[in-house]
Amino acid sequence: MSDTKSEKIVHGMMAEFTTVDSLLSACRRIRDAGYTKTDAFTPFPVHGIDKALGIKPTVLPWICFFAGITGTCIALTMEIWMNGIDYRYIISGKPFISLPAFIPVAFELTILLASFGAFFGMWALNGLPRFSNPVFTDPRFDRATDDRFFLYIDAKDDRYDAAGVRSLLTDTGSDYINEVVEDDSPKAVPRPIYMIWGAAVAASIIPLLCVLLMRVTNSSQPRFHIFPDMDFSPAKDAQQTTSLFGDNRAMRPDVPGTVARGQLIGSLDVMTGIDVDSLQAMNAPRAERLVAAFMQDDQAAVAEEVTEVATEEEEQAEASVMQTTPWVKDNPLTVDQALLSRGQLQFGVYCSVCHGMDGRGNGLVNQRAQERGFDTWVPPSNMHEDTLYSDKYPDGKLFSTISNGIRKMPGYAGQITVQDRWAIVAYVRALQLSQNASLDSVPASRKDEVSQAVESAKKELQRQAEEAAQAAAAREEK
Amino acid sequence: MSEHAEPKFKPADNPTFSLPSSLASLQLPLLGGGLVALIIGVAMGFAAESEDMPRFGFSTYLTAYMYVLTLSLGSLFFVLIQHLVRAGWSVVIRRIAECFMILLVPLAILFLPILFSLFFEGRLFVWTDPNYASEHGLDSKMWENKQMFLNAPFFIGRAIFYFVVWGGLAVYYWRGSTNQDETGERAATDRMQYWSGPAVMAFSLTTSFAAFDWGMSLAPMWFSTMFGVYIFAGAILSAHCLITVVTYVLQRHGAIKDEVSVEHYHDLGKYIFGFVVFWTYISFSQYLLIWYGNIPEETEWFYARQRGLFGGLSLVLILLHWLVPFLGTMSRHVRRRPGLMACWAVYILVMHAVDIYWIIMPEARHLVHGNIPSMGGAVGLIASVLSIVGMTALFVGLGLRVASGNRVIAVRDPRLRESIVFENF
Repeated sequence: MSDTKSEKIVHGMMAEFTTVDSLLSACRRIRDAGYTKTDAFTPFPVHGIDKALGIKPTVLPWICFFAGITGTCIALTMEIWMNGIDYRYIISGKPFISLPAFIPVAFELTILLASFGAFFGMWALNGLPRFSNPVFTDPRFDRATDDRFFLYIDAKDDRYDAAGVRSLLTDTGSDYINEVVEDDSPKAVPRPIYMIWGAAVAASIIPLLCVLLMRVTNSSQPRFHIFPDMDFSPAKDAQQTTSLFGDNRAMRPDVPGTVARGQLIGSLDVMTGIDVDSLQAMNAPRAERLVAAFMQDDQAAVAEEVTEVATEEEEQAEASVMQTTPWVKDNPLTVDQALLSRGQLQFGVYCSVCHGMDGRGNGLVNQRAQERGFDTWVPPSNMHEDTLYSDKYPDGKLFSTISNGIRKMPGYAGQITVQDRWAIVAYVRALQLSQNASLDSVPASRKDEVSQAVESAKKELQRQAEEAAQAAAAREEK
Repeated sequence: MSEHAEPKFKPADNPTFSLPSSLASLQLPLLGGGLVALIIGVAMGFAAESEDMPRFGFSTYLTAYMYVLTLSLGSLFFVLIQHLVRAGWSVVIRRIAECFMILLVPLAILFLPILFSLFFEGRLFVWTDPNYASEHGLDSKMWENKQMFLNAPFFIGRAIFYFVVWGGLAVYYWRGSTNQDETGERAATDRMQYWSGPAVMAFSLTTSFAAFDWGMSLAPMWFSTMFGVYIFAGAILSAHCLITVVTYVLQRHGAIKDEVSVEHYHDLGKYIFGFVVFWTYISFSQYLLIWYGNIPEETEWFYARQRGLFGGLSLVLILLHWLVPFLGTMSRHVRRRPGLMACWAVYILVMHAVDIYWIIMPEARHLVHGNIPSMGGAVGLIASVLSIVGMTALFVGLGLRVASGNRVIAVRDPRLRESIVFENF
């Protein structure tokens, strides 16, 4: 690369003026001559220079405006998604999507993004950040911040022509006109910068080395805690004791009557299987005792209220159960395939051990008890007895039996959730139906399959009977 | 120095500095018509009273009165703040604000009907009703404490105090400014600037307490420390709108044509935009804290305004007092078109009337918890509109009367030149 000035890249032409008025008139001249890529530099703001130079109003307000709107939208979307949809959290009983509470954040984010839009938009429009601008190569340009006025015409302007621009600027009365050329000062980064940078990188390893050293060496000093309150939380762990409460338990039991979120199934009718309103009309003191027992979360008292009914019922043997307690007649949950499957699963887990998978009362426990011949053993009910069908044994009573137990059977309220108990009720009803179903209710496509199964079952039974008969005959012969 | 031609300074007796005769001749029709409309409106308001709306009559008057009072107070604040910050740009339009500021003196007389209402127990301010506490089952100890502030003698004393302060300020600044038209002395400006600091403090305290007295005490159990600022926000916003409209009308009739330029409209537009946001900010912060706290005695006031027709009006205020003018006056292109800016100013002045109506009228209902405020049917609505229109006409007529005897620009203000050549960046 040659050092002669003429071969340097030319960026534009700079003219110096000594007064504002001469600058303004020069601005108007070059504006009228049709130059658009121009700029003026003054030590203080000059009114009307935008107009004199023909600079169009900036688009910055629009950038700012749309950045602000983006901020509003982001804030509202974020808040609605977070608080209203993804992680619903009740805050002082307000709705999940409560706009008044969202507005401060939306407002702040609007301001933030509008400011960012203004700040970074200004940078972008000004071509920042950059380390240097060729205009600084002009030896007299420094005075633009002091007492001189400069006018600059960029070489990228369509009308730019070095000689023409120079003569135009001379006409405007400027006595110093200079071509702005590429900065040829050395671009190499000075060595001290590299050294400082290298030293900084080296120094940044020190903390890591300290940590590593501490990890592998023993020390007689106690461990250093940067955030002691995070290492030693004052909050109690589960099962710890405290002197704050009379029972010394740090883990507080639920306040009686508390219904945890997601555990409110519906009305008390659903929770007890009893039509409480009717019970109130029929036997007000008992209804009150039942509700009170529920409010206190007193399982034993609830069971007692219901057991009392059971004994009454036994005494009146044949009297309709509805006469002593108004049981809920229909399953309050929607009975569908999902509920029945759930009921089947739960029945299999909790009930089948005694009642058997088919509900005929011959589960494994019963079989073993029979084998051992326990004299206190009360055999589990056969679900397919007439007295347990829904016309005589309403759904609510079945639910209550599962919840609170009957005879030798314990209550399962502690193990099985309310929904699952109702699901079991639904499944038991389906089980009962299945034992009395006619072939008509089987879908046509599967009728053959069922009749074949029935046939093979009959054959199997017949074969077993024949075998038994043969065996009996053989025994007698002996 | 700028793109403008060098301004030509006219002598102080130039005819374009006085109120155009076409406007001056509107005085009597406005004063007469306004008074008649006001009387008919308020009379209709009394006619619209019912068991559910026992305070409708005086409330219509109070609504109309508070509307023009806020315009006047806003103008006073405009003048004070220009002196406080030694603003140069506003000199050419300051006299217009001064003409409305001085109307605080006649407004003191128009306040008499409100004082008069104190003699009818509970006909406007329920706390004047001796049975109020017992009828509403209020704690007697607490009510006694409230009565230490809310009682007729103290109330009258405070009202007199407010008007003395406002009237004093208005007269002082009016005299200072108009005397300068004759003498041209710089010392007058210095004196007004010197007193502007204490004046602003006196103004803000009195305005805030006046808002508590005349707006908030309509619902004596409700309180909001923001209420004074809320009224002030509406006042300063509408004052800027009023100045814009009046300047535009004056220019259309040939006055101060060369003095007020598009730059002044641009600046007024910026303030209008800013104070629209300020009003929204203040009214929302008042609402948010009460909404969030959710304490019965605080929410009661908003509860009444969230149901029935006033519930709809609350939404209208959010949309039309904030969103529409916010977007409408946001652009520089709008602010630099005087005609358009005057239209927006008129629009916001109407919305300010709706705002004042929304503050006062729901309290005209029978104050039982859960009683939905009504607008009094067709008669009540016409009464409200007629009284506000009448009062405004009266106010503008008085303003014209003041302006016709004086110049509409502070001709010898030392900053007049600065103001005329003023240019936005």
